[in-house]
Amino acid sequence: MRRKVRGSSSDRFELNLTPLLDVVLQLITFFMMLVHFGSRIEGQTPSVHLPIAAAALPGADLGLDRLVVAIDREGRLVVADAVLDPVASARWWGDQAKVRRDARKALGGNASELPTTVVLRADKDATYGVVRKALAQAQRSGFARFSLIVLREDQP
Amino acid sequence: MSLRRKRTGLPEEVPFPVTPFLDMAFQLLAFFILTFRPPSNELRLDLYLPTAAAALPQWPQATAKAPSLDDPDLETDLVVAVRANPDGSIGNLKLGDTAVTDLSSLEARLTRYRSVLSGQPLRIRLEAPDILRYEEAAKLIATCSRAGVSSVKLSGRGEDLP
Repeated sequence: MRRKVRGSSSDRFELNLTPLLDVVLQLITFFMMLVHFGSRIEGQTPSVHLPIAAAALPGADLGLDRLVVAIDREGRLVVADAVLDPVASARWWGDQAKVRRDARKALGGNASELPTTVVLRADKDATYGVVRKALAQAQRSGFARFSLIVLREDQP
Repeated sequence: MSLRRKRTGLPEEVPFPVTPFLDMAFQLLAFFILTFRPPSNELRLDLYLPTAAAALPQWPQATAKAPSLDDPDLETDLVVAVRANPDGSIGNLKLGDTAVTDLSSLEARLTRYRSVLSGQPLRIRLEAPDILRYEEAAKLIATCSRAGVSSVKLSGRGEDLP
């Protein structure tokens, strides 16, 4: 009986890599289009659990001039991971408004109402009263545009 | 002299080295998979609270009139009044003088009301006690904004903050 010689051109096994490459390139394109560098959402703090409001609609893009603050479940203002008491938070709003007002004055703009958008990430277990008073405090300092952050659905 | 070569047999195969190409593709794929972060499911509720005194009606004069196309003075400012349970959930809900059972019927009423206003901005004053949970208030604001309310003013029960 004759044995087949290994490696002869007639029975060489050839792997067709073209479909594999197609799939890989498509996956790369998919991930490239969804890539988002940076690991943290602006103003995100682990102590704040956002409320779920499925009825919310996606808003327009936020402007560059924005101020992100959070309110924890105890109703305290959280700014850059620092928790402020009510007195300090009133002072903080005033300071933030003053900095922006001075900058607008220097540029020759109207300083009465600030164009800054205050992005508020309040905990779902905070009370309406706390959030309303924080907004009123900001409003008294000159901020008029606010964005409340909510979740579309529960986060996994 | 003939310039053409005569073809003999099959054309010579040009080998294409796929292996380094595949290596690079897999490395790129691994990189993107490892750095992939699913898009955030966060949404925003935009509020415009002017620093000047707002021209919204004071409680209890503001009432929701029955929508009528013949009414030239159709009210464009409505009050959504909320009573809260001791646990901070919504106890009962009123749009003007009309009791509303839940958020979906509030949305339906507001949408209907807005359609008869034919382009006029509809403004809402949300009047709720301070003990109401923020999550419930956020749902109310989201419902109002989905119904096409142009601005929502937040106020406490019986008091009107700036």
